[in-house]
Amino acid sequence: MTVPVYLDYAATAPVDPRVLQAMAEVLGACYGNPSATHDQGMAARACLESARAQVAGLIRAPAAAIVFTSGATESNNLAILGAARANGDRGRHLISVRTEHRAVLDPLAQLVREGFKVTLLDTDRLGRIDAQQVLAAVQNDTILVSIMAVNNETGVLQDIRSVATAISGRGILLHVDAAQAAGRISLDVAQMGVDLMSLSAHKIHGPPGVGALYVRREPRPTLRPLLFGGGQEFGVRPGTLPVHQIVGMGCAFQIAADEGAVEMRKLSALRDRLWQELQVIPRIHLNGHPTERAPHILNVSFEGIDGESLQLAVSPLAVASGSACSAASGEPSYVLRALGRQDALAAASLRFSLGRMTSEHDIQVAAQCVITAVLRLRELAPQ
Amino acid sequence: MSSPPYTAEVLALFERAPRAGRPQAAGWVSGEGQEPLTATHVRWHLLGANGHIMDVRYEVRGCPHTIAVAAVLAQRMVGQSVAELKLDVAAIASELGCDMTKLGRLFVIEDAILRAAHILRS
Repeated sequence: MTVPVYLDYAATAPVDPRVLQAMAEVLGACYGNPSATHDQGMAARACLESARAQVAGLIRAPAAAIVFTSGATESNNLAILGAARANGDRGRHLISVRTEHRAVLDPLAQLVREGFKVTLLDTDRLGRIDAQQVLAAVQNDTILVSIMAVNNETGVLQDIRSVATAISGRGILLHVDAAQAAGRISLDVAQMGVDLMSLSAHKIHGPPGVGALYVRREPRPTLRPLLFGGGQEFGVRPGTLPVHQIVGMGCAFQIAADEGAVEMRKLSALRDRLWQELQVIPRIHLNGHPTERAPHILNVSFEGIDGESLQLAVSPLAVASGSACSAASGEPSYVLRALGRQDALAAASLRFSLGRMTSEHDIQVAAQCVITAVLRLRELAPQ
Repeated sequence: MSSPPYTAEVLALFERAPRAGRPQAAGWVSGEGQEPLTATHVRWHLLGANGHIMDVRYEVRGCPHTIAVAAVLAQRMVGQSVAELKLDVAAIASELGCDMTKLGRLFVIEDAILRAAHILRS
């Protein structure tokens, strides 16, 4: 069996062997409960706090601002539901964007069911919003703005700092889903003016099942916990902490901090090369902004072919299709539709996402496979 | 996904798409069918003589099941009487293990064939 070329790192990335080793060491030797005061517990606590500092380091935050969770989905839920419920007496209005991940849109929908109001902003055709749009949507009772740093389907970057500047001084919290941003673009929470930031381990070669929420220290936003049953993680997220996973996340974030700049340049070059090679195919479209985008994602639509057939024809590649994030419904991507793509074109789209193990050879194979598939399907189709 | 969405036969037909293409010679008639929701588009080409179908070609923009059903129909139509065409798309879809929620788009094939056959008859 041929191993497919893996270009779905935005979905999940293989665990880095160094992360695996760090996790294995902790699993074997560091079995104490980090809340316990005996030696084993203290040893586990030391591992935990070291990882907390590593995670914080990547976003230039103090370690005490990091709350460990089960992943970015939980972090988004904790940030949005927790902040809204804790601040509901101050205001009932939240602002976000139509192209956010479901892990943001679904908690917002839940808040609507609880009586909150949500404004979802439209992006432009390139997937961007501007700060003035956000400001124009602010109401007297707006309590939270949630905007992703990097779109998971298109890689488009949002100008978080401008949004923070625009809404500053109004008592509005700014939450950023940075699941696709950490390790892919430079992040500095203080400079960006962010109050809450969701982070994921497995997107950057850490283990799945662990994530974190950055919660600004000064002033510290009030969050109502989603879970109850212990005082761990500053009383915001109870439950015995999975030290080996957290250590894995810390290791992955440390590697990203140490090697990220070089890796970003490499990924950017490979992504550009793939796009360049694909352009021998007529009638294709880059989805998202041509320059304001993360280095690891390329999303392309192909005219004149069926999306499902495209997906099957490129099956030697592990890539996401234009319906990837709506797989259960089979609907074309709502993100691409929000960018103005018609349903059929949105469905005939591929998201290529690159990572640490992506090679030039992978890019060549991928380009050739897609070119062959698209040209064949067009040859089959009525002209 | 709990099971593969395509049977081995569908995969083989998708891969080879026997009889697919556009005839270049004169004497062929064509019919089309389209389904706007999924942008499925089928153009069917028939070559007839003495009230019978002598040859078939087709062009498809559609899902793998649409391509597979078109390929099976194309093979089975050769030699049939134009007046008594047997086009059981639903049965072929069932034989191939197609997702039956796709029947709507699969009937586009039948639309295209019937239009071509109508021209052939007239």
